[in-house]
Amino acid sequence: MSHAPHEPRKHTPGEPGTEEGQVPSQRGPDHEGVVPEDRTRETEPADRGQDDREPADHGPVGGESPGPVHIGRGDHEPGQRLPALAALVVLAAACAVGLVLLSTNMFGALRVYAAPAVLAFLLCALTYAVGFWIFRRIRPVRAPRLPVAVLATVWGLLAATGVAAYANTGMGGLWGQILGYEAAGAWGAALTAPINEEFLKLAGVVVIAVAFPHALRGPIDGFIFGALVGVGFEVTENFLYALHSISQSGALAPATSVTETTVIRVVLTGLGSHWAMSAIAGTAVGLLAAVAWRPGARRALAAVGLVLLAMLGHFFFDSPLLGEGLFGVAAKVAFVFLSAMAVYFTIRHTFRSRVKRSLSEQGKDLGMRRSDAKALASRRGRHKALASVARPERPEVRRRQERMVEEAEDRAARYAVN
Amino acid sequence: MAEATERETGVRRPRSNWVPLGVAAGAVVLLGAGWPLLNAVTPSSQALASDDTVDLGSGGDYAASLDLPQDGWNVDTTKTMAGQQYVFTRGPVELDLVSIQPPGGMEATPEDLWSGMETTSRVDDASAQLGEPEAATTQDGTRGLVGDLRTQDRTERAAVFPSPDGNFAVKMTLGGENATGADLASVEDVVEAVSFEHQEGS
Repeated sequence: MSHAPHEPRKHTPGEPGTEEGQVPSQRGPDHEGVVPEDRTRETEPADRGQDDREPADHGPVGGESPGPVHIGRGDHEPGQRLPALAALVVLAAACAVGLVLLSTNMFGALRVYAAPAVLAFLLCALTYAVGFWIFRRIRPVRAPRLPVAVLATVWGLLAATGVAAYANTGMGGLWGQILGYEAAGAWGAALTAPINEEFLKLAGVVVIAVAFPHALRGPIDGFIFGALVGVGFEVTENFLYALHSISQSGALAPATSVTETTVIRVVLTGLGSHWAMSAIAGTAVGLLAAVAWRPGARRALAAVGLVLLAMLGHFFFDSPLLGEGLFGVAAKVAFVFLSAMAVYFTIRHTFRSRVKRSLSEQGKDLGMRRSDAKALASRRGRHKALASVARPERPEVRRRQERMVEEAEDRAARYAVN
Repeated sequence: MAEATERETGVRRPRSNWVPLGVAAGAVVLLGAGWPLLNAVTPSSQALASDDTVDLGSGGDYAASLDLPQDGWNVDTTKTMAGQQYVFTRGPVELDLVSIQPPGGMEATPEDLWSGMETTSRVDDASAQLGEPEAATTQDGTRGLVGDLRTQDRTERAAVFPSPDGNFAVKMTLGGENATGADLASVEDVVEAVSFEHQEGS
């Protein structure tokens, strides 16, 4: 986070919120008059709201739900706490099982190919770091909480890949019986992976949504957490493929095999790989979580459509259609990537509009310029606003900014429901 | 009653978070255990006739195939992934065959492949050790190496054959947990039943 130099001329201590870029206190009477249903929020500790922290609370949807229950740092509506704890248990158990299955799967190769495995691990760690940074960064307004984002990738890294390896072998054997070994060799992956891998990754997004209901409460969160689960899956799969490529190339040049495989899977096909497919499917989870898992017909159809689009993309990607030449691969990658981008920019636009609308409403009641209030929807806008106040004031202004943004995201979630 | 009220007010009651959690956990268990169980209880072999030709994949200017010299061979449909790896069985005998694509455009020689096989065979069995290889030729005259592959409790036969341009290769192990020396000897010619064909227009 950059800090602009102190500029005293822009600081107007006596008139909070009237200066361009400054955020007035939300604790004044005007604010309470704006959102009476959210007065309980004002009891939140003053130090809440640093980057990555949960917003103050859900706020009752439709004004009829009882008040929130606070459990440690997480906020849960009544009835959400026990399922959330159970979801954490499911997450831990599935990851442990996945780790055991993966270890069993990889043990022999790791023992024999120790040095190339280290190279593969380093390349995968780099892929993970870049993917993790990008997918947290592309969430509009602010990044998802770090621990939740990490857990989402861990599901992809361990649970989804570990279970998928066994599920795919089982289902692949059935295709061999049904289609014959030659047709199964050509079509098996396309018929297996879209079902097993997409549902296993999607299950992770659902588990995250239940474990951390405040972190995933709309389509944009579903997209981001889907992408994070997907990048975890991709990284482990890259590692497995890299080890497998050594045997597949007769162990003639293990380091070359590992590097070639990773470069192809990251540079050539990475744009349209697992992250994109599970981001599309994850958006469906966000659509359902936004309405407390009780969608109307249109929303349910949209959710099913998104999951089917992700599965279709995966099917196309793994199928022998268009051959294995550069054109065929490029067409498949483009289809998946452009589908993901179409979904992303649609939901991003809606989300940002809702957040800006809320910020505009808040700003109006606080006497802020509309453009200044709306500028707080972006990281750059908030940094710019912070830079315009005296350095000693910044922590307090930052807290106010974050409270406004939290409030804006709460309202955005409610707009989505309504 | 509650649903009627919901309809009147247009407000939907939230669904318990137990429902999505149950669905997600159920999906993981179903996929992770269901397919392997279903696969385990269904047959996983497909019979091959003696005149069947199995395509083993291609690389560079050549495609490889296997003409099984005996009747009674089956293909294991669970372990086989056409174009990459094949597992054939005949009674207690198992023939594992892997199509090899040398990395980075390098041209594989029989000696390189034999040395690589020493490494790859230890992935499944840390005690695996290759014996001294002997020169061998396939039925179409392609030169390769054949020798013993010793593990803790048995001796199998191993073979490697690169395509004439070295851009593709086939490696094989002929063994089986319960196969005797006589069982292996009776089908030993299968390892030389590979042939490489120059692909038109490549």
